[in-house]
Order: sequence, then C-alpha cells, then structure tokens
Amino acid sequence: MNVTEAVNSRRSVRSYQDKPVDRAILRRVLETAQRSPSGGNTQPWNAVMLTGEPLQKLLDKVAEVIPQGLAAYSPEYNIYPPELDGVYQERRFGIGEAMYAALDIPREDKASRLKWFARNFQAFGAPVLMLVHTPRYMGPPQWSDIGMWLQTVMLLLREEGLDSCAQEAWAVYTKQIRECVDIPDDHIFFCGLAIGWGERSDAVNSFPVPRAPLDEAVRWEGF
Amino acid sequence: MSNSTTVTEAVMSRRSIRAFSDKPVPLSVIQQVMETARWTPSGCNFQPWEGAILTGEPLRQLQEKMKVTPPQDPKEYSWSDPEVIPECKARLQQVGADMYTAMSIDRGDKAARGDFMAQNIVSFGAPAVLMVYFPRVMGAPQWSDVGMWLQTIMLLLREQGLDSCPQEFLSLYAKLIKEFVGVSDESHIFFCGIAIGYRDEEDPVNAFDRKREPLESKVQFLGFE
Repeated sequence: MNVTEAVNSRRSVRSYQDKPVDRAILRRVLETAQRSPSGGNTQPWNAVMLTGEPLQKLLDKVAEVIPQGLAAYSPEYNIYPPELDGVYQERRFGIGEAMYAALDIPREDKASRLKWFARNFQAFGAPVLMLVHTPRYMGPPQWSDIGMWLQTVMLLLREEGLDSCAQEAWAVYTKQIRECVDIPDDHIFFCGLAIGWGERSDAVNSFPVPRAPLDEAVRWEGF
Repeated sequence: MSNSTTVTEAVMSRRSIRAFSDKPVPLSVIQQVMETARWTPSGCNFQPWEGAILTGEPLRQLQEKMKVTPPQDPKEYSWSDPEVIPECKARLQQVGADMYTAMSIDRGDKAARGDFMAQNIVSFGAPAVLMVYFPRVMGAPQWSDVGMWLQTIMLLLREQGLDSCPQEFLSLYAKLIKEFVGVSDESHIFFCGIAIGYRDEEDPVNAFDRKREPLESKVQFLGFE
C-alpha cells in the first residue's frame, strides 16, 4: 500500500470484526513507528497495548462509572479549548451530525446519541486498545511529536490491513485507566487508539467525512 | 521513491535532510501532497493546521531579512523544556554528536557549529519551505493534530521522491515570518518550518546513523499471547 492510499483509506473506524490482532503485527508496526521524527530526538511517546482479559477489565471498570455521568470524569487536560468558536465549532458539529445522520439518530434522540457516545468506552468493539501517555514535563512541541508518531502508527496499521480510531474521549476516565494499567504518576494520559479489523461496510464507517478546502489552510508564495 | 512507495518505506527513508540539491520543486507535486494531507485526522475534526509555502523570490527575500535580524526575544515558545531532563538531554547531545562527527566538525569548534546552525535560516538550501502556524487558542492536543498533519506531509513527500526537514529553529524569527506572509501575530502562533526539496545524496550530513530507543522502553503489551 502506498502512502497516498494509506492516508486516503484511513478513517476513524467505529465498529470492528470480532477477530484478534497478532502481537507480531503490532510489534512490527510499532518498531517501524520508532523512526518517527521528534524535536531534539526526544521521542516523547509512551504506550500500553491492551487486549483480551486486561482490556475487558478496563472496559468493565469504566462501564461501572458511566451512569455517574460528568461526576466520574477526571481528564488531566482540556480535550478542546473551551473558548473555541466559529469555524472550529462548525467543523466539530459538522462531523458529529454527519455521523449521526449515517446512523439515523436524530438530534432529539439524546438517549440514542449518548448510548452511541458510550461505545467509545468499549473501544467500539476493537480487540486492541493502545493507551498513550507522556511525561508531564513535555510541552506543546512534544505533543506535536506524539501526533507525528500517532499518525505514523495509524498509516502503518493501514498497510497491515488494520483500522484504528484515535480516541481522546478516554481522557475523561483517566482515573479508571490509572487503576487498571501502570502509567507513572509523573506522566499525563493523552488518548486511546482503538485497533482492529474494521467492519468497513457499516454505515458508521462509510459516511463521507468533511474536510476544509485546501485554500482555507494553506497559502502559496513564489510559485 | 515513487507512487509505489509503501508506508514502511516512507517511514524508514524519511530523515531530517540538512543539505538539499538546488533542483526546484514543482508546484503541482506539492499541491497534490497538500491536498491529500487534508485527510489527516484531528480531534473534533478541528483541522487546526495552517501554513504558507514559499519558494523562489519571496523565500529568498524572507531569508535575507532573517539574516540581518536578531532572534526574537522573548521566544515564540520554548521548544527545549525537556532538555533539562537528563534522558532528553542525552538524546539531543547524541544526535548532535553523531551529526557533527559525520560532518568532521570537532566538538570544540564552536565557530563551525555556529555556521552550520545558521544554515537553518536558509533551510539548508531547500528550494521550498512550509511555514506552519495556527490560532494561539489551540491547546496541547491540537498541537498533536498539527504533528499528525506534518508527518502526513513528510511521508507523502517521500512518495514523491522529495525530502524534508522540520525546523523549530525558525520560530526564532516567528514575528518576522508572520509579518512577511501576512498572518496576525496576535491571533496566531508560529510553530515551525518544513524545508522541502531533494536531498543531496553525497553530503555526509544526510547519511549518519540515527538512534532510537528500544521499543521495550516505550511500549508495554498486556494480555497478548
């Protein structure tokens, strides 16, 4: 698979086949991803890969507290800037509406939407969940390094025929994650990445995902 | 590299290139890369990245201005906070030592090292540079999104036979660069440049061995057979 095909065929996949992923494949992907660049060669990324029993234990623990709603949330950072508005709110709502339209869940049906949102915390049925953390002393440029590494992982997964879904949503249950896996206290938990073989024909995995036209992001000088 | 470049080949063959050939980069090739890179993911689909791509006369003009302008104070942001941490400092010093050894520059030769650092201003002779900036309101997770976009661009460039070098160094001239490309300093933070061009195959600075931590020190596997 070439790079363009990997970029174009990657999407956040939100339903998976019930089929395990070999550790050997994941090791191969992660070994190659070690070659991601980082400022000063800092390599700030760290991860825990969960499958089987340990994954189920985490899903069960989080399922227990979901009924408590916001009271159970314990994020260690703002997932999105509270003061964002304008075009960014439009983009955020745009993708949500596109997804719920594909699922035939209208805006008024809050219960069904909440139920769908809760599927985040089953990793959408993916057999593997990667939990990403980094030392607290890392600044924003190092978070960018982690992003480079994450995208490297997601594109290499495509090359293996695997799908993924980056899930910042997991940050709201950082406390439960810390109870289940060993993330050092001086590290911050960033996000999850669901990994598995996607049910690509499902409506939730095939709706058109909007992107801004290139001219909104990039200008050209001297060409 | 070609359109049959696999992701693995692109990841393994990408390296920070610090000597470029003077072969120009066709607009259509970069346009294609940037179009495809729109499909990079971002939390809430924010797509927080913005940039200006400069080549030819405008790039030369900007570089001339940087040459006669002192690095800005205060800095746009600190890219080196972790350098006070011993393990990070060791990794930085290692890559620096390997690079200068490849170039036959002695550790003590501060003048030669300084001259080489100054090559950052002209992006190591790259014919095109992507200047990356985004709204100041964005937080750390959005910096991660921007990183995903940058790596997508760098891997797509490999597919086109092109090379790159991300340059946080250019943030020393953030205000100047923003003014030059017409971006508000008040609303936007400048992050980095990405030098874009074809690598000089002969130059040893593009050929030294780069170290990475062993996977075991980065990733734990739980529950796998």
